Amino acid sequence: MTQPIIEVRDLGVEFVRNRRRNLRFREMFIHAFRSDRRRVQQETFWPLRHVTFEIHPGEAVGIIGRNGAGKSTLLRLVAGVLKPDEGQVVVRGKVAPLIQLSAGFSGDLTGRENVYLVASLHGLSKKEIRDKFDEIVTFAGKQVVDAIDTPVRHYSSGMRVRLAFSLVSRLPHPILLVDEALAVGDREFKKKCYKVIDDLLAEGRTLVLVSHSQPQLTRFCKRGIYLDGGRLVVDGTIQEALDAYNGTETRPHEVDKDDDD
Amino acid sequence: MASTTLGVWHSRNVLWYLIRRDLALKYQQSFMGYLWSLIEPIGIGLIYYFVFIVVIGRGGRLAGTIPEEQYILYLMAGIFSYMWTSSVFNQATKALTSQKALITTMNVPREVFPVGRVFARSAEFLAGIPVLALIAVWRDAPFTRWLLVLPLAMLVQAVFLIGVSLILSSLNVMMPDIERFMSMIGRVIFYSSPILYPLAAVRSADLPGWVKVVYEANPLVGIVELHHSAWFPHVFPSTGLLLTCVTGSVVTLVAGWLLFRRLEPAVLKEL
Repeated sequence: MTQPIIEVRDLGVEFVRNRRRNLRFREMFIHAFRSDRRRVQQETFWPLRHVTFEIHPGEAVGIIGRNGAGKSTLLRLVAGVLKPDEGQVVVRGKVAPLIQLSAGFSGDLTGRENVYLVASLHGLSKKEIRDKFDEIVTFAGKQVVDAIDTPVRHYSSGMRVRLAFSLVSRLPHPILLVDEALAVGDREFKKKCYKVIDDLLAEGRTLVLVSHSQPQLTRFCKRGIYLDGGRLVVDGTIQEALDAYNGTETRPHEVDKDDDD
Repeated sequence: MASTTLGVWHSRNVLWYLIRRDLALKYQQSFMGYLWSLIEPIGIGLIYYFVFIVVIGRGGRLAGTIPEEQYILYLMAGIFSYMWTSSVFNQATKALTSQKALITTMNVPREVFPVGRVFARSAEFLAGIPVLALIAVWRDAPFTRWLLVLPLAMLVQAVFLIGVSLILSSLNVMMPDIERFMSMIGRVIFYSSPILYPLAAVRSADLPGWVKVVYEANPLVGIVELHHSAWFPHVFPSTGLLLTCVTGSVVTLVAGWLLFRRLEPAVLKEL
């Protein structure tokens, strides 16, 4: 058997609830001078814990779970933009990430500048980007072609995701992480994306897809991982994972079954 | 530490790209942008020249180290070096927070953002060199081989500033109000290094010994003196001062790197 391309072992990450921006320089002074040194109560939680699995090259894996089950956190850990507090992630190969509907575009830069910036941060040379540029922009649709020299903050969310997907799917990296991105595009764009993903899978790339759309998941993924409350509950076929997910819901049709495909 | 140094080296293309983008954003039109970057340092220089030479009195405290007619050159050499320092202090705090979109989606060595800021902001200093040369011609200051001290001065200053930038950028994610202290710190740095006055004036001042030791422990004192000595060789730092400022800069860099490593996981969660 080949070596796994993604290896996740007993993975856990801990967050501090309500922690956002409450440790201030000022407060450090106050604490330093106060005699009782009362510690601010910090409540922590684990958005993801004790998760173990392996993904082999060429696999397409769907990650399923309710909001807050740890799907995005898992993807961020695999992408290396979050560091684990427990366990480890080993990723053997470069990752093309589309996380939280973003490829890392900055709102104040134009579409063109963003494509160049993000692609060069992904290790593409200027020439490679120039060669692929028209293809990337054309794929994202006419609206994006027309607005390519406008700052991205003026784009609609659909335009932004289309350009992001178009760019990320053209990176030569062996691993593609896609988080909910396909939910935003319109029908026509989705069809184009499906074709691209089919092609990438046929090339032997590895896909990790987070989605709430049953048709999408069953179309691309043989394997499914079902997360609940930060724990891995099911790691099996995509159908097993979907069944587990649907079974936990009081309403029967939580997964969007009437997706256009 | 070795692995992250290597990481930055591997992403030198990324680093170079970020620096150019930073500069392109700041200097939209090339020539006007260049002039624009000189307005602030020259403005500051003229104000101090007016105050200390014209109003207060003919360089009474120059302690005989600098010819009065060349004081403007002394002043500007220090100010251009200071501009680099102060813009790093001001902007390093935002080096990570302003790149949030990239950092939270893409696995690049996070160090490139603060390090890139230091290099990009050296542009203002480099832009000042022709101005210094012009002033030197105007004030009959000699061009000697001592100008070769400038690269050394820049190197030591870069080492120090990278350390500072790593510290401030990561700390500011955890404690966002650090930003507000920066203008005050900028002022402290300005007056506590020999920019307006010669170092000799501090040394000969009637101060307790420990104050002088603390004063010279600031690596920027040595760095500014290095910048001065390109034009005024006799102020070249003594071995002790040179050692202090080089050691201080390297220690700052190492401390910055360690702190950055240490805070990185928390920074990533917080962004």
